[in-house]
Amino acid sequence: MKNMILSLLILLFSANTFVVAETLPKGIIRIDAREAPALVLNDMDGNPFELAKLKGHWVFVHFWASWCGPCRKEMPTIQATLRDYKDSRLKFAIVNTAETEDAVFSFLGSIASDIVPLMDTDGLVTERWQPRGLPSTFFVDPEGKLRYQALGGRAWNKGAYKKFLDQFK
Amino acid sequence: MTTFLFKKRYLHHTCSITDIVFLFLALLLSAPLIAAENKKDVYEDEDIYLRFIYRSAEQVAAFYEGRGFPKTAIARAVQSCYVTVILKNKSDDLLWFELDNWLFHKNGKTIPRYKQVYWNKQWDEMKLKQAHRSTFGWTLFPETRDARPGESVSGNITLPMQTHPFSLTLNFARGESKNGKMKTVKLNDIYCKDAVQK
Repeated sequence: MKNMILSLLILLFSANTFVVAETLPKGIIRIDAREAPALVLNDMDGNPFELAKLKGHWVFVHFWASWCGPCRKEMPTIQATLRDYKDSRLKFAIVNTAETEDAVFSFLGSIASDIVPLMDTDGLVTERWQPRGLPSTFFVDPEGKLRYQALGGRAWNKGAYKKFLDQFK
Repeated sequence: MTTFLFKKRYLHHTCSITDIVFLFLALLLSAPLIAAENKKDVYEDEDIYLRFIYRSAEQVAAFYEGRGFPKTAIARAVQSCYVTVILKNKSDDLLWFELDNWLFHKNGKTIPRYKQVYWNKQWDEMKLKQAHRSTFGWTLFPETRDARPGESVSGNITLPMQTHPFSLTLNFARGESKNGKMKTVKLNDIYCKDAVQK
């Protein structure tokens, strides 16, 4: 009996880790749970980042460039989200695609100065992830599999999108 | 800086009645022109929204120069015609596009589009940095993809420079397995900014 209860608890706990709403906010799509491509980059301060080390967490992986209009609009909502989820189980990988430190610095300085992006300086990591365009956000589950993708820019700190993110806390 | 200077100037400027009348007349006269321009460059029906923005060589050069592209690459890039296309799938179904099924034509002759492979060859020849190749690639309209209900897709389509307006026939497959009814849109008066002689 004890074993049964224990198994049930384990099942419930593990299910809870992966459960997300059946109804997704507008512009968020499910993707087949294929293995997330490698993501090994340095951030703008030179600190190394490796997605594989974040197993056990949901990860918000975002690709952007300063020349893209929707990226500019979305970035302040990402900064607000980063603040809200600072100590949560949801982790973030904000990847700049193929721009120089100067371009990124002058853009973020005026729009979202808290963000220290990962620098995909030659753009090859972004190409490996095959986003549908820029900006693009993927959600990687605690097992390192791709689960969701956001189509274009979203207001992550508001309404249905905030609720969606709350599930990964 | 520009905003600051503008504000400063604005604060020190006193509007006279002549200024106000002039501004009012200018707005009145420009409104129909803006509306006509927008109407001409937009196609919309119950399934799809399409907008075309025609880029001048100066705009193209300024964009890539701002991204640190070398002069040789910019000189090569501005020899082409740039049309930025913004597409939105307004339908409840998947809409598939393959640029090979978008036919640019003039007087019964097809205008071959410059594809991604063409640009790769250009950049190979001038040994363009990978970062710039990547940026250029992301500014192009995707060669083939689906557009989900409500999704917008945008990017540049590049063609050999044309001195006269031309037509475009766009074909879209529909449905999860592309087995829905094919959608076709025919548009006239597509052009290359600067080069066109109407």
